[in-house]
Amino acid sequence: MSAMNWIYVMDDAALLEGHMTPIYPLGVNIVLARVGGVVYAVSGKCVHMACPLFTGKLNGYTITCPCHDWRFDVRTGKFLDAPELSLAVYPTKSEAGRVFVNLN
Amino acid sequence: MNIESRKKALRYFFEKVVGPLGFKFTPDAALVEFLLEQEVILEGKHGIPFCPCQPLRHDRTRDMQIVCPCIPFHRKHFDILKRCWCGLFVHKDVLDPAKLPQLSPKEVGIE
Amino acid sequence: MKKTIVYTLSTCPWCRKTENFFTEHNIPFAYIDYDLADEATQKRISKEVDAAGATGFPFVKIGEEVIVGYQPERYSSALGI
Repeated sequence: MSAMNWIYVMDDAALLEGHMTPIYPLGVNIVLARVGGVVYAVSGKCVHMACPLFTGKLNGYTITCPCHDWRFDVRTGKFLDAPELSLAVYPTKSEAGRVFVNLN
Repeated sequence: MNIESRKKALRYFFEKVVGPLGFKFTPDAALVEFLLEQEVILEGKHGIPFCPCQPLRHDRTRDMQIVCPCIPFHRKHFDILKRCWCGLFVHKDVLDPAKLPQLSPKEVGIE
Repeated sequence: MKKTIVYTLSTCPWCRKTENFFTEHNIPFAYIDYDLADEATQKRISKEVDAAGATGFPFVKIGEEVIVGYQPERYSSALGI
């Protein structure tokens, strides 16, 4: 993975434990979530009807879509009721107080 | 809301969901048109495209399990029937949906 | 003739087919569109649906027999026609 692929998206301290926030690096719709101190990044659009997941709920590792309650594991992106469906997952890293996401 | 354009939108969303689950839109085109139109009407009324053939219970947990496509929440039942309850979706290998019976979960041994 | 009651949804094509079946066979029947019914009626029907292990409509009662789904052969059998 090339270092060029990492995109700075926000300061590490800005995302609190148990919270989500939307980001749009290069226009890509992503939701960031911090669970257990780790920052996870998945597609910000529900696989069902593209509802914005950042306005849903984060409970442990589970994101619940605000529209129709579809639930996803923020670590794997998998839809909990049918693992064939999943959100795109993006690698993240924190360095020097800054969060980076890799879009590749 | 323009019903035809919303039907197209629902078709676009649903196709991407049901394909990976082994389902497709029924080859009965008239049924697809009718059911999608009912869903658009239900969406206009409730804000959500519920299944036209399952009753709302006014209990969020239960009602969210009949939002189209509701296949993920009734997988075992619908895999046995090779169709969803309203027949909008059938297994990919189904060519003649008229032959598929509409049996309750209890009738196919699911309690 | 056994008493026939059909619970339906106004949005459900299989419910319309079911009603057509009884009409075409000259079987007198009562029907309630669940989605257009009042809250008390919906609650009562909802309990019957749950008790029968059903999830969807049409929900048909012919005498004491409950038949869930559009099943014309079972309607005929229950009615002895």
